[in-house]
Amino acid sequence: MAITAVQNPTQIHRIPQSKYIDAVRWLPPLSPLSKLAVLAVFDSDAYTPSLETHSLSIPSSSQTLTLTPNSRWTPPSRISSLAATASSHPLVAASTLSGSLHVLSSGQDSMVDDNGGSVSTMEPVLSVDEVGFHVGPICGVDVIESECVSVGEDGRVNLVSFGDEGFRRVFDGNGLVGFNAVKWASPSEFVTGGYGFGLQWWDLRRPGGPVSLLKGNWSQGKTGGMVHSIDIHPSRKHTCLAGGSSGTIFAWDLRWQQQPIVLSGVGIGDAATPSFSESEVWEVQFDCYVKPSNISSSRVLPAMFGSEDGILAVVEQGEEPTELLAEPCAINSFDIDPQNPSDVICSLEWESIAIVARL
Amino acid sequence: MSGDTNGGALVAYTADANKAVVYPLRHGVKPPISRLAISWSRGNTLRVSVMRNPSASGDSGDEDGGKVVEVKLGNGDGEISDVQWRRIAYGSVSPFALLQSRRNSVSSLSKMSFNSSPYHVEWWEYVLEYSKDINSLLGNRQYPPCPLIEDPKAILKKIEKPTCLKAAWELMELFYADKLSQAWLPEMLVDWLADYDNLLSGTQVTVHLKLLDFQKDIVSLQVIEDHPKFWEVVSSALAVGWLEIVVKLLRLHGSYQFDQLGNREIENGLVETVAVLISKMPRMRPELEAGKLGECFKAKPDFIKAWEKWRTQITKLECSPFWVQCAHDQTREGLRNMLQIMLGNTNSLCTATCHWIELYISHFLYVRPFTVGLENMYSLAQKCIQLKPMASSHRLMGLMIGILSENIEVVLAECSKGFGPWMVTHAIELLTAGNDQADTLLHEERHNLGGISMEELHRLVYAQVLSSHALTWQIAPIYLTSCMQQGMGLLEILLYKQPVYNNQLLLKNIEICRLYELDSVSSNIMKIAGIHHWKHGKKGSGIFWLQQARDEVRLNRIAQQMFDSVGKSISDESFRQWEGLIQLLGSESKAVGGLEFLHKYRDFKKSLLQIHDGKTTEATRQAIESLISLMKNPSTPPRFWLPLLYDSLKLLNWQERPLLNASQTSLLLNKLQELSMAKLRPDFVETDLPPQALSSVRLALATNLGRSILEEQ
Repeated sequence: MAITAVQNPTQIHRIPQSKYIDAVRWLPPLSPLSKLAVLAVFDSDAYTPSLETHSLSIPSSSQTLTLTPNSRWTPPSRISSLAATASSHPLVAASTLSGSLHVLSSGQDSMVDDNGGSVSTMEPVLSVDEVGFHVGPICGVDVIESECVSVGEDGRVNLVSFGDEGFRRVFDGNGLVGFNAVKWASPSEFVTGGYGFGLQWWDLRRPGGPVSLLKGNWSQGKTGGMVHSIDIHPSRKHTCLAGGSSGTIFAWDLRWQQQPIVLSGVGIGDAATPSFSESEVWEVQFDCYVKPSNISSSRVLPAMFGSEDGILAVVEQGEEPTELLAEPCAINSFDIDPQNPSDVICSLEWESIAIVARL
Repeated sequence: MSGDTNGGALVAYTADANKAVVYPLRHGVKPPISRLAISWSRGNTLRVSVMRNPSASGDSGDEDGGKVVEVKLGNGDGEISDVQWRRIAYGSVSPFALLQSRRNSVSSLSKMSFNSSPYHVEWWEYVLEYSKDINSLLGNRQYPPCPLIEDPKAILKKIEKPTCLKAAWELMELFYADKLSQAWLPEMLVDWLADYDNLLSGTQVTVHLKLLDFQKDIVSLQVIEDHPKFWEVVSSALAVGWLEIVVKLLRLHGSYQFDQLGNREIENGLVETVAVLISKMPRMRPELEAGKLGECFKAKPDFIKAWEKWRTQITKLECSPFWVQCAHDQTREGLRNMLQIMLGNTNSLCTATCHWIELYISHFLYVRPFTVGLENMYSLAQKCIQLKPMASSHRLMGLMIGILSENIEVVLAECSKGFGPWMVTHAIELLTAGNDQADTLLHEERHNLGGISMEELHRLVYAQVLSSHALTWQIAPIYLTSCMQQGMGLLEILLYKQPVYNNQLLLKNIEICRLYELDSVSSNIMKIAGIHHWKHGKKGSGIFWLQQARDEVRLNRIAQQMFDSVGKSISDESFRQWEGLIQLLGSESKAVGGLEFLHKYRDFKKSLLQIHDGKTTEATRQAIESLISLMKNPSTPPRFWLPLLYDSLKLLNWQERPLLNASQTSLLLNKLQELSMAKLRPDFVETDLPPQALSSVRLALATNLGRSILEEQ
């Protein structure tokens, strides 16, 4: 299926880095003239991971966009998943491949840098790496103001409350199941996804197991795969969006639990289901920038995805997708700026960052 | 394989390749060290394991027993860092892939039209586009923004030092790809030297170096024309054709100053005349960059006319009586020497230039501007080398001689020796552009290379370099798949070698398999991943990957292991843990193997749990159905027969009425009989049920049979 060319003008900046970028998230800006992002970086030559905040100058038309490193923190192992809150004093949660979880608070340094701008800082708030937290890598993490939830291939779902010691085990799958992604829906509810295209809805007020299940067998076994990323729209908490293997993007509406709405995918659903990418969809997010063509509450809101075959595009139910970026290498992670949704930051496989500004 | 691998042996290694290099090791292990093991790690790193003797000291407490450190061996090319090499490697993927796909479509087109020539007429245009794309990766000449007030004494523009790699690529582009510039090749070489003469300064004196030195002195000089170096530098710059620098320097001449203009009128007139003559020099080229001096001529007859006229003007000036009236000796001699250079006096050119390429360029400018054909250019180069023998060789000089001598093999060897496997692999595309001889040479399958062509050999070497790094192995397939003979085999090995424990990497690996339709490789990789996860206690992941690989044999074997834990652990509490796994199993209709049993067993257990009181409900009916289907199903392992029946005792002893009919009961009795027989076999597994289980089940079945027969009558 052909993807329509860019209809709206976009400005694309590609900024080569000298290290691999595992994940990327926007942080609230410190000054009106710059933007701030947090990058999970891995130096494959020295085998050292790091978490770095970088400020981006907003260029005037003639200049090129530059990325200036602000602060840096060294995690014990490579970062597997990264999440940040959108508040003015944001919290950054990073999980590692060795199974530890770290929460940092990003703030502003009282010092001013040479250009008169403020410098961001990162202070570790808490670290959980005790024995029995997770076995093996943590695959997904999400953070809200008071709590952090983490999931892993070991099938454990753990909750870390700020202010409390240690962690709380919500579920232990004993390795019989594994989770790849997690997303908060409300302060007491979250959604997980993992092997198979199933999703689990958890409610902390009803412990013991997931309160709702989207069974993974809806794809009729034509293709198997896993969910890599989940997103929930802040204004429509009953719908969650998931992306995974074989270009699959689907939405699960809790009001119609048993059947998902497939937005894209190879060999699943009926023949009319379009497929915009055939490879792994690494990340999906609802795109608040694009105005939905139909605001009926049964329609899925516009969503953006980034894939292994290098496509960053916006899909909407029943519409032609809009391609924003077509790279020769994978788009491993991206984030839409919550404060200024026209800007998207992407981390590319070939050690670079791309900024897409929709004009 | 390291970056400085010598691809061919046509050019001998220099002696400094034998020099020992010392790499300090920081292992922090306290002596005495009992063992040292060295092995290759990824890329050009060595893994050194330093071990202490475990029994050497008794106080070892928290002391390390040893350490493994990695030593990175230098890549021999200090000019370009690893990061920049990777950037170049990433960037060259798209142009290379585009050119390959164009080649494929062009050759299939020419096959269809029975065209004798394998290439399209415009093939070189594609190659030129490719060359320009690659060239742009090697760095752009970035001039800093022009200062508002230009420094009158700044003769050299400050630019970032270019790389030899770029210089080499541009040289290759000039000779092999850029067919449009062939007519003005000498002038293009003049430009090339102007851009890259500074690179040669490392190994020898160059005009650029002289200018750089003089630039330092210029600020402190009061009377510039008295300085002997001034005239030397001016004539050197003139010899290599840097006209704007020459004119700028001449205009710094003291006679231009207002207070001296009066009594040095004639001297000033001579300086200015020479400056004007220089800026009017005819050039055989289509255009000049803004700010460059000379008059361009595209057509040869026009150029010859202008050239003759220009030389006549110089000769006239040389015989002019004004020279006698010029009082300043240095100015007179300096200017007359410049006229000799412009007239192509070999001795003057030889004195003014520093190395053979500069002399060569000066010949193009002032002696033989019409030189065409590589043969003529080569003989001229040889003459220049004779006049200015090389004190030390430079990789760019080696490459240039190779190109001029029209020896493709030498060019390849120089590329490989001087610039590494990336350069050879990508430059081959330039060499073969419209050159049939090179085409045959590089594409011919060679016996001594194991039946592959030179082109393939170099691509394979480059792919090996890419494969050895964690960040570049993913682009190696692009090059491997362009190798007809051994590419696919090596690609399979590469894919198998990648680690499976990280899901993201694993999926990237499988994606490459999908792109190149390597289904069997991808299923093998999934099997490896499945077993890895299984062994590490991630049963769910293990089963998922084995299912993806449709590996029934292993799934069945795993099923047997699972049953051991199932019998014990499917209790009421641990039900939820299994729920997820069974969900996963249910999502695959096929390739479940013996695990299908788990699914049914779960259903059976679930319905049993729902039966509370003695009332006959939908749940009891379902439980009976599940029981019968489980007992009928061949995938149900025999050791589960008795536990299943024992679990369903309350169904068999149902108070209200018999739940099983006569034929169902006989089936169960038969199974029980089979089980008693199986007890005698050596591979029988004893269950941990109470000893009277068998008899109580038998009794219950017998009773049920009796009741059901009665009811059916």
